Amino acid sequence: MTKNKRLLTIFTIACGILIVLPIFFLVISSFKAPEEVFKPNLNITKLTMENFEAVMEKNILRAIWNSLIVSTSVTVIALLFHSMSGYALSRLNFPGKNLVFGWMISTLMVPFTVIMIPLYMVTKNLGMANSYLGLIVPMIFNAYGIFLFRQFYKDFPKELEEAAYMEGLSIARTFFRIVLPLSKPMMIPLTIGFFTANWNNYLWPLIINQKEELWVVQVALANIVGGGYETSWSIVLAAALLCAVPTFIVFFSMQKYLVDGIKTSGIK
Amino acid sequence: MNFKRKETLTAYGFLLPNLLGLTVFVFVPMVYAFYVSLHDWNALSPKVFIGFDNYKKLAEDKDWWQSVYRTFIFTIIYVPLLVGSSLFFAVVMNNIKKKFEGLARTLFLLPFAITSVISAVIWMFLYDPRNGFINQLLDLLGIPTQQFLGSTSQAMIAIIIVILWINLGYNMMIFLAAIKEIPTDYYEAAQIDGATGWRAFWNITLPLLRPTTIFILIVTTIGSFQVFDQIMVMTKGGPANSTMVSVLYIYKQAFEFLNMGYASALAVVLFLIIFVLSLTQLRMYSDKD
Amino acid sequence: MKIWKSLLIFSIVLILIVQAGCSSSKSSSGDGDSNGVVTLKFWDFHSEAEKKFFQDLVKEYNTSHKDQVKIEYTAFNQSDYTTTKLPVAFANEEGPDIFMVSPGDFTKYAQSGIMADLNSYFPEGAKEDFLPASLEAVTYQDKVLALPYELELLGLYYNKKMLADKGVEVPKTWDELQAAAKKLTTDKVAGLVLPTDKGPYLNFIWYPFLWQQGGNVLNEDGTKSTFTSPEVVKALDYWGSFFKDGSAPSKLQYGPWDASNIGTGSAAMTILGTWAVPVLENQFKDVEIGLAPIPTPAGGKAATDAGGWKMAVNSKSKNVKEAAKFIMWCFAEDSSRPLKWATEIKFAYSPRQSVIKEGEKIYGEGLRKVFTEEIYDSAIPEPRYGPEVVDAVGEAMQKVMFGKVKGEDAAKEADKKIEEALKKK
Repeated sequence: MTKNKRLLTIFTIACGILIVLPIFFLVISSFKAPEEVFKPNLNITKLTMENFEAVMEKNILRAIWNSLIVSTSVTVIALLFHSMSGYALSRLNFPGKNLVFGWMISTLMVPFTVIMIPLYMVTKNLGMANSYLGLIVPMIFNAYGIFLFRQFYKDFPKELEEAAYMEGLSIARTFFRIVLPLSKPMMIPLTIGFFTANWNNYLWPLIINQKEELWVVQVALANIVGGGYETSWSIVLAAALLCAVPTFIVFFSMQKYLVDGIKTSGIK
Repeated sequence: MNFKRKETLTAYGFLLPNLLGLTVFVFVPMVYAFYVSLHDWNALSPKVFIGFDNYKKLAEDKDWWQSVYRTFIFTIIYVPLLVGSSLFFAVVMNNIKKKFEGLARTLFLLPFAITSVISAVIWMFLYDPRNGFINQLLDLLGIPTQQFLGSTSQAMIAIIIVILWINLGYNMMIFLAAIKEIPTDYYEAAQIDGATGWRAFWNITLPLLRPTTIFILIVTTIGSFQVFDQIMVMTKGGPANSTMVSVLYIYKQAFEFLNMGYASALAVVLFLIIFVLSLTQLRMYSDKD
Repeated sequence: MKIWKSLLIFSIVLILIVQAGCSSSKSSSGDGDSNGVVTLKFWDFHSEAEKKFFQDLVKEYNTSHKDQVKIEYTAFNQSDYTTTKLPVAFANEEGPDIFMVSPGDFTKYAQSGIMADLNSYFPEGAKEDFLPASLEAVTYQDKVLALPYELELLGLYYNKKMLADKGVEVPKTWDELQAAAKKLTTDKVAGLVLPTDKGPYLNFIWYPFLWQQGGNVLNEDGTKSTFTSPEVVKALDYWGSFFKDGSAPSKLQYGPWDASNIGTGSAAMTILGTWAVPVLENQFKDVEIGLAPIPTPAGGKAATDAGGWKMAVNSKSKNVKEAAKFIMWCFAEDSSRPLKWATEIKFAYSPRQSVIKEGEKIYGEGLRKVFTEEIYDSAIPEPRYGPEVVDAVGEAMQKVMFGKVKGEDAAKEADKKIEEALKKK
C-alpha cells in the first residue's frame, strides 16, 4: 500500500513539474535581456533585472491595485449571492424551481462578444461607466457560481438541516449559521475561479473604462504589448509575471482550506 | 402549508439578488442582441429593420456552418479529455502522501493563473517550428520538425492541448473538493465488506460525484463552444481557417466587418445550439438520478 | 467566525466602492462646454516614442489655447483600438472627437459617415502641398475625410553577411528572390520572413507582387473584381511558393512587422517598411543590413506599397470645428511637426512635398537613401478596400500558403466573395 502511495506521489509530482515547465519558461524569459528572449537557451549567466525596472516605470502598480479591488469585491459578493441561490435551488422546494434554474443556466450560453455592446449601454445608463462599479457589478452575476453551489449542495447531509429545524431555526438561520460555515471546501473553487476570471478579464474593462487611473492589470499589460511596430517581449513577459503574482498568492493561501470532508465532524 | 409558504418565500428571497442581476446584466443584453439580429447595423449608422433576412442568410452561409462543425470537433475532443483527466488526477491526488498534496495541487493549478494572452504567447514560443522547445526535444528524439500552429492539420490539436493545460488543475480541484466531501465512514463500511480500491471508486466515489461530474461536463461543453481568447491570439482562426471556430466567426462579422445585425443572428443560433446540447446532456444524465 | 470575517471584508469593500464611485462620477463631467472651454477626446493607438510625440503635441496645443480648448489624450493597444475600442464607442455614440484611421478601416468608416469633411479647414495653400495620390486616398464622394501624415514604403531588407557567406547576390527578380530565399534557409534561419496571419497587413505586403505585373484586385473604378486575372493567380502562387518550400516560416514569434526578425538574425531577408530603419539603427546597429527594392517579375515594373495612418474627426462630435483645427495644426501647417514625425520619431515619408524637400538631408542618410532614390517613385498607396474584400483576398492567400490549394482555385473562390461584397455597397 505504501509502495503504491509512493509511486503515485512521484508520478503526480512529475506530472506537476511537466505542467509547470512552460511557466518556468515565463519566469526565466522575464529575466533575459531583450535580444535573448526567444532564444531557447537557458543562459543563466545573462540574467538581468532591466525588464522589471522598465515595467515599474510603466505604472503597473496602480493597475494591480485596481484589479485587486475589483477581483476581491466581485469574489466576496459573488460567494454570498451564489451560495444563497445554489442552496435554494438544490435544497428548497418551491414552484418554478426548474424554470428558474434552466433560465439561469441559459445565461451562460451567450458569448460575451455579442452582449458586449448592449451591456455597455445598460451599464452606461445606470451611471456606472468609467467607475469601479462598472467593473464590479456586471461581473458578479454569473450563473457559473450558482450552478457550482447547487451541485455541491446536492450531496450535503440532510441530517444537519433536519436537526436545525427541530431546534426551531428558520430556513434562513439554518443556512447562515450552520450550512454556510461548513461550505468552506466548496468556496475554494469559486473563490479561485471568480478571482482569477476577474483578474484576467480584459475585454470588459477595456470597453467600459476610459481613464488610465481605472485601468486594470490586463489592459495595462496589453498597452505594454502595444501592438505597434516593436514589442519588447521581455518587458511584456516580466510585466505578465508581476501581474500573475497576486493570483499566485491567492492560490497558495486558499490551499489550506481544501481540507478533508466536513461531514464527520459536522454531524458530531 | 405554512412551512411550504415560508420555504417558497425564503427560496425566492435567496434567489432575488441573482434574479435581478442576471436580468439586468445578462438577460436584457441578450434580448437586445436578438432585437439587433432583426436589423442591418454597422454600429456607426442607424439600424435598418430587415426582419429575418439575417437568418435566411446564415442558413446558406457555408463558412458559418463549417465553423460550427469545427467547434463540434473541438468540443468532442476537448470535453472528454478535460473531464476524464481532471477526474483521474483528482482521484490520484486524493491518494498521494499528504505531505506533497498541497504542492502537487498548486503545480497543477498554476497555469490557470496565467492570462490567456500570455499563455498563448508562451505556447506559441514552445510550438515554434524553428526555435521552440518542443521541436528541439523532438529533434533529440530524431523526430522531424513539426509545424504545429502553422499546420492546418495540427493547429487545432495544438490549441486543445493549451486549453487543457490551462483548465486541468482548476477542474481537478473541483473534483477534489467534491471527493473530500464524501464521508470516510462510507469507505470504512465498504472496506468491512471487502470492497477497496477500484471497487470502492466505482461503487462509492463515482456515483456520489455525479452532480459534480454533470456540472463539469455541462459547463465545459458550454465553455468549449465559446472558446475564443487563445485561438484569437495564437492563430486568429488560421492557418487557412482551420481553427476558425464559431465565436471567432461571430467576432469577425461583428467587429471586422461591422455586420452587427448578422453577428447577432449568428449568436442567437449558437445560443440555441448550446441550449439544446446542454438540455440533452442534463436529460441524459439526470434520468438515472 | 468566517462569516464575520467575510462580512467585514464585504463592508470595507462596499465602502471603497461607494467612495470610488462617488469620486469618479464627480470628475466624469462629460465633454460639454464648461465656462467656454471646449473639451476634446483624442484616442490613439501609438506607444513609446510615437505616443510621446502626440502627447507632447497635445500638451503644446493645450497650453497655447489655454482658455479655449482642452484635449484629453488616451492611447490603447493597437489591435483592440481598431477592432473593439472604436466600434463599441461609436456604437454607443461615445466615440472620441479625434481618432486615427488606417487604409483598412477607411472605407467602412467613410460609408457610415462617421468622419467629418475636412475640406474647409485646410489652411491657405496647404491642400496643394499634399501629394495628389495621398489626398485621393482620403477622398470619398468629393469629401476629404481624413488627414494623411505619413507614407510608409516597403522594401526588401537583407542581412549582408548571410548573403555574402552563401555567395548570394542581392536578388532583383522573382526567380532570384526565390532561389536566394531557399539557399539562405537553414535550421535556425528563415530565408524570407513574410506575414503569416490573416489581416490587412498580410495583404499589404502582398499587393506589390500583384501590381508589379500590372494587375489589381478591382477594376479601374472599383466596381468589378479582377481577381481571376492571370496576374492575380501568378502573384498568389509565387507568394505561396515561399511557404511551400519552407523558406518562409509558417509561424512567427515576433510580429511580421517587427524588425527584430531580421535584427536578431533569425531571418536572412524580409519585406518591411520604412519604420524599420530607425529600429535597426538604434537596436541592431551591430548587424549589417542592406535594403533593396522589392524584386520584380520578368517583364514587370517596380512597385511598392505606401501605407500610413491618417487623422480623422468624428462627424458626430459637438466640436467638429475645434477638432479639425487641431488636426490641421498638427500636420497641415508648420512643417516642423510633420518633419519631426517623419524623420525623428520614426522614419516615413511625409505626404507633403514641402516637408520632404525640407528634410532632404535626412532622406539621404543610410538606408533611407535607398528608399528615396530607388523605391519612392514606384510607390502606390495602400488600397482602402472594405473589410469583406480584404478578408476574401486574405483567405485566398492563406489557402495557397497552407491549404495546398492552387492559386487559380483560390482566386476563383475569392472572386465570388469579392463580387458579393461589391454588390452590397
